[in-house]
Amino acid sequence: MGITRTIDEINAKISDQQAVVWTVEEVKAKVGDLGVDAIAQQVDVITTGTFEPMESSGAILNLGHTDPPLNIRRCWLDGVLAYSGFGAVDLYLGATQPADYAGLREIMEGEQVRERGGGHVIADLIAGKSIPFRALGHPSDCYPRSSFETIINRDTINQFYLFNPRNLYQNFIVVVNGGDRPLWTYCGPLQPRLGNAVYSNPGAISPLWNDPDLQLVGIGSRIFLGGGIGYVAWEGTQHFPLQRRLPNHTPIGPAATLALIGDAKQMTEAWVRGCYFKGFGPSIMLGVGIPLPVLNEMVVKRCTIQDQDIVAPVVDLAIPRRIRPTFGLVSYTQLKSGSITLDGRKVRTAPLASISLSRQVAVELKQWIEAGQFLLTQPVAPIPSDRAFLAQDSRGA
Amino acid sequence: MPVTYRLAKDFNVAASIIRAQVAPNQVGTLVVELQGDIDQIDAAVDWMETQDVEVSSASGEIIIDDLVCVDCGLCTGVCPTQALTLDPNSFHLKFQRSRCIVCEQCVPTCPVQAISSNL
Repeated sequence: MGITRTIDEINAKISDQQAVVWTVEEVKAKVGDLGVDAIAQQVDVITTGTFEPMESSGAILNLGHTDPPLNIRRCWLDGVLAYSGFGAVDLYLGATQPADYAGLREIMEGEQVRERGGGHVIADLIAGKSIPFRALGHPSDCYPRSSFETIINRDTINQFYLFNPRNLYQNFIVVVNGGDRPLWTYCGPLQPRLGNAVYSNPGAISPLWNDPDLQLVGIGSRIFLGGGIGYVAWEGTQHFPLQRRLPNHTPIGPAATLALIGDAKQMTEAWVRGCYFKGFGPSIMLGVGIPLPVLNEMVVKRCTIQDQDIVAPVVDLAIPRRIRPTFGLVSYTQLKSGSITLDGRKVRTAPLASISLSRQVAVELKQWIEAGQFLLTQPVAPIPSDRAFLAQDSRGA
Repeated sequence: MPVTYRLAKDFNVAASIIRAQVAPNQVGTLVVELQGDIDQIDAAVDWMETQDVEVSSASGEIIIDDLVCVDCGLCTGVCPTQALTLDPNSFHLKFQRSRCIVCEQCVPTCPVQAISSNL
């Protein structure tokens, strides 16, 4: 006897603070005793979360117009260049843009220039800090001003929202270094001769493992983004749903991705953190949570996937080519045990995502829903399930 | 003066260099781990002091700022002595000071710059 619920029914219960909400970890822990059907009977919403570096992220800022007006063509926020080749005071500050020059704190406090970039500036703004802003304009009859300098914070800029072209990778790779010199990578330092392995996905608790075919999550889904409310805006860049999959529908390597959007003025510093990979560059760590409505038993069934049921490929970053050699697949249970065996050798493993903060995202989202503060949305369009994945080669002259 | 060479040759003391900052005509600093017979290490230290090498026994340690750390655990993969580990249940970062050899490999590994050393 199957159950069916609608999003409207679930939202009515949330509004009455009657909804039963479990984190996906609670589902995974209890399914052995209770079974899928019993959980589907009693639970309305399952929350998932992750906290990890998400390099393809950034913020849209609308500065607000100056008097006389300014058409910004080049600008820096705390020494970090933002893109300004569109609306006169519209800016895009990318998370991985490295600082061009020392920012305010270095100048004022004489600290050494730290390794920092756009992710740190975004995090500073969300934390309520004031940062210096410098712009060069393109003077014209409409916008006579040629330059502008000020101090801004999140309350003095007209608009400030994150618009992240690629977040929430459904699985990723495990990176190692089979070469003979240390590598400084986007997953941190890799010691030579398979000295260590880094995995970047927190495993089965991460949102998209639990909706592998993206039947629940779509364009318009309301989510937890950086401690505030955000939405799924589009498929993410490099979205690759056609990745090979196991019989449980989970992909064996990088697959679906999502573009996310959300008002940064509501976000909190705990869930948006600048980060820096030595020898590589700056990035941003974000907490992202997705609620899954229990529309039927299949939703619960998909959420019972465990670390032992999902795998990732071990890739050698010592070969700097598009196709890199791999050492085959390992399960997330093996990865989380602290070591894997490659070529008969034990190799230490370390995560790049914070598993404890990933869990905390799911707990926090659960509390929002239980308190009646967060309603679920019906997606307005599905994320494509058959997108091709094109590479780029040089053609012509 | 080839300090580590003399330690090995004259005192049979192995000096593993953990950190060195030596420039011509300037005061340099060398952080070394000394291994050998205890009496010979004492003799080696006495000899270094006669050579105007200031010796202080290291109380160097790694300092982790809990307010900055996000418990990602990236540092645990480069820690050679497993002084830094993730708790298998909570996945919180655990630091066992007694196991730390202050090699400082964790310092540049930390993506949020939560780790420093007082050396």
